[in-house]
Amino acid sequence: MKISGIGMNRLLRASSLLVIAGLLAELVSILWFHPLSFVLFVFVAAGLTAIGILIFLASLVFVAGPPTDNQG
Amino acid sequence: MTKFSVSELFATGQTEILVVLIMVSVMMAVIFLARPAITTGVSGKILAFMGLFALPALCIAGGIAVHTQRSEQTQFCISCHSMEPFGRTLYIDNPMYIPAAHFQNHRVPADMACYTCHADYGLFGPLRDKIRGVGRIYFQYVSTPPNPIQIPGGFKNGQCLHCHAGARSFIENPVHSAIMDTLTSDQVSCVSCHDMIHPVAQLSQLKFWSPGQ
Repeated sequence: MKISGIGMNRLLRASSLLVIAGLLAELVSILWFHPLSFVLFVFVAAGLTAIGILIFLASLVFVAGPPTDNQG
Repeated sequence: MTKFSVSELFATGQTEILVVLIMVSVMMAVIFLARPAITTGVSGKILAFMGLFALPALCIAGGIAVHTQRSEQTQFCISCHSMEPFGRTLYIDNPMYIPAAHFQNHRVPADMACYTCHADYGLFGPLRDKIRGVGRIYFQYVSTPPNPIQIPGGFKNGQCLHCHAGARSFIENPVHSAIMDTLTSDQVSCVSCHDMIHPVAQLSQLKFWSPGQ
């Protein structure tokens, strides 16, 4: 399945969901003073957020519609 | 495990800023989750760029800074069960023990005592330290920590010389000056003479210093 076939809205939702999950995991990792908090941040929080950002960027590149005409 | 209060986490102010930034980013991402159609307009696109790229990227950069700083703290190092005895050796009431003397007299920053003496001061040293640190977390939670715990590759003189090289008391010491080349080239280890370090096996026989008493 091509990315362009998925649709902008679904990609934005997926991106938002991953960014939210990643940032909430980061919040937990910051408030939890424990050796595993570093692992949680690196492998879960940063990973999910990075994938979310990449999906958003991919949606801009592959799905963004043609520019609207500026006719009066 | 060593316990910490929330107030300690927010001691620097950096963490507070990051928490606020994360909350703002989450709220913006929730808007795009609920109504992705708002990105059809130019202002919506700009908002999406901020909420789904710029702010989350900033949060990750901030998280790296906070976690890097936190992982250099003495309390973080000794929060692993197997490192607790090493933390206790910092309080031995005997100035002949090198780490205890350095820690108690603030010859190293007390809140970064472990990191100051055990950090890799090479170009990519901090990164290598973090990778090794993840390996130690694996030993702590998945495998079994080695017994006795030893520094991979041995203790490098550079970690002492990072501060002591060039110091008058160090270079004017006749013992040091006689073997200076072998010290700087790691042929003779500093700890081969200064061998009173972390006596974790003899902790029950030692007296400890209690700050404030």
